[in-house]
Amino acid sequence: MDTTQLLRGVLDVAVLAVVEREDGYGYDVLRRLRTGGLTEVGDASVYGTLRRLYAAGALTSYVVPSDEGPHRKYYGITPAGREQLALQAKEWTSFADTVTSLLPRSTGATS
Amino acid sequence: MTEDDTLVLRPEVVAFVEEVRRHLADLDDETRDDLLDGLDADLAEQLADGADLGDPAGYAAELRSAAGLPEPRRRRRSIRVAPAELLDDARARFLAVAESPRFRPAWELLVTLRPVWWVARAWVAVTALDVAVGPYEYISVVPTLAVPGLGPLALVAAIVVSTLIGLGRLWPASLRASQRRYAVLALNTAAVVTPLFLSIPVPAYLGYDHYDPEYYGSAGEDYYQRGLFADGDPVINIFAYDAAGKPIPQVQLVDQDGRPLSVRLRDAAVYDDDSEGLRVPCPARNGGAAVTNAFPFAYVRTSIEGRCTAALAARSVPPTPPLASLPPITLPGR
Repeated sequence: MDTTQLLRGVLDVAVLAVVEREDGYGYDVLRRLRTGGLTEVGDASVYGTLRRLYAAGALTSYVVPSDEGPHRKYYGITPAGREQLALQAKEWTSFADTVTSLLPRSTGATS
Repeated sequence: MTEDDTLVLRPEVVAFVEEVRRHLADLDDETRDDLLDGLDADLAEQLADGADLGDPAGYAAELRSAAGLPEPRRRRRSIRVAPAELLDDARARFLAVAESPRFRPAWELLVTLRPVWWVARAWVAVTALDVAVGPYEYISVVPTLAVPGLGPLALVAAIVVSTLIGLGRLWPASLRASQRRYAVLALNTAAVVTPLFLSIPVPAYLGYDHYDPEYYGSAGEDYYQRGLFADGDPVINIFAYDAAGKPIPQVQLVDQDGRPLSVRLRDAAVYDDDSEGLRVPCPARNGGAAVTNAFPFAYVRTSIEGRCTAALAARSVPPTPPLASLPPITLPGR
C-alpha cells in the first residue's frame, strides 16, 4: 500500500502530537517523526503542515536567533491545537480500530 | 539543539531557498515569507545530516500542497506560451461560462445568430471603406461608395467573404492555424470597434438634440471647429457671382487640394423669428448623399424637423442673394 497517501491524512495529528510533547523547529519535528517510525515522511510536507497548522491557530511560533547563521523558527502547541489533537486522536483510534476489525485476524494481529 | 551548535548556511541552501521562492512567486508576500521563514535553518541542518536537497520545483509544490495553498494558476515564469495554447485556454474559459446552465440558453441563441454577425461585420467593413474614401455623407444601409451600383455589389461580396470565413471555408492557406485564429480575432475586434468611430445617428434622448450626422457631423468633428468660418463666425451660406457680376445659380467649391469647402448644416440652420421655427438648409444631393459644398443652399421652414427631409425638400425655396449683382470684373493682364 502507498503509505504516502495514508500519511497525508494523519500528518496533522502526528505533527500536533510531536509538538505537544515538546516545542520544536521544522527539522527537529521532522526528525522526531522519522525516529518515531514515519520514515517515509517528506520534509516539505512536514514544513508545509507546520505552516498550515500555525496559520489555522493550532500552533504558535517563535524565533530563536543565533549569533551566526540563520535563525530557527520554533513551534509550540496552542489550546486550540490541543483540542484538535484530542479530537483527531480519538477519530484516528476509532478509525484504526474499525479498519483493524475488518481485516482477517491472522494479518491484522501480526502486522 | 544546544546553544552552541552554530549552523553554517551553505550557498547551495541559499540558492535552493531562492529557487523555491521563485516557484512560489504567485503567492502574496506575507504568505510566502511565512512559508519560507526558517526554512534555510532547517535545510542547512538537514544537509549537515547528510540529506540532499532535491528538486526545488517539486519541493515548492509539496510545501504548497502541505500548507493547504492553491496550485499556481499558470506557469507564470514560462517564457514562451504557445499562441494556440493561449487561445485554447481563453476559449475553454469562455465556454465554461457560456455553456454553464445559467447562460446556456442565451449562448445557444447567440450561436444560431452567428450569420447575423457575419453580415454585420461585412457591412461594417464596407461602410468603413465608404466613410474613408467618399465625401462626407449619411451612413446608409447600403453603402454608396461614391460610384452608382458599386455599393450594393461590394456589400454582397463582403457578406459572401465574411460568411465563408465564418464557416471556415475561406482563408489564405499560407497562414498557420494559430495565425488564422489571431487574424479572425483581430478582424472581429476591428468590426466591433470601428462602428464606435462612425457617425451613427443617435436618438435625441441619448444626448444631443436632433442628433443627425448630416447636420452635426461625425463625433470626431466636434473636437475642433469644423466647417467654414469668416472672421471667426461660421459661414452658413455662400453666394457666387460671375465675372459680369451676376449671381450663379449653383456652384461646387473645393480648396487648393480639392477638398470640399463644406458648410456644416448644423451651423446653417437658423431660427426664424417670423414663423417661430427653424429655417433649415436643403443641400444639393449626389444620389443619397448631401453635398455640403454646393451653394447656395436652398432653405425650408420647419417647426418640427431639425433637418431637411425628402418631404420638406420639395417645398424648399432658393435663397435670395444678398446683393442682386456685383460690379463686373476683369481678369488681371487682360
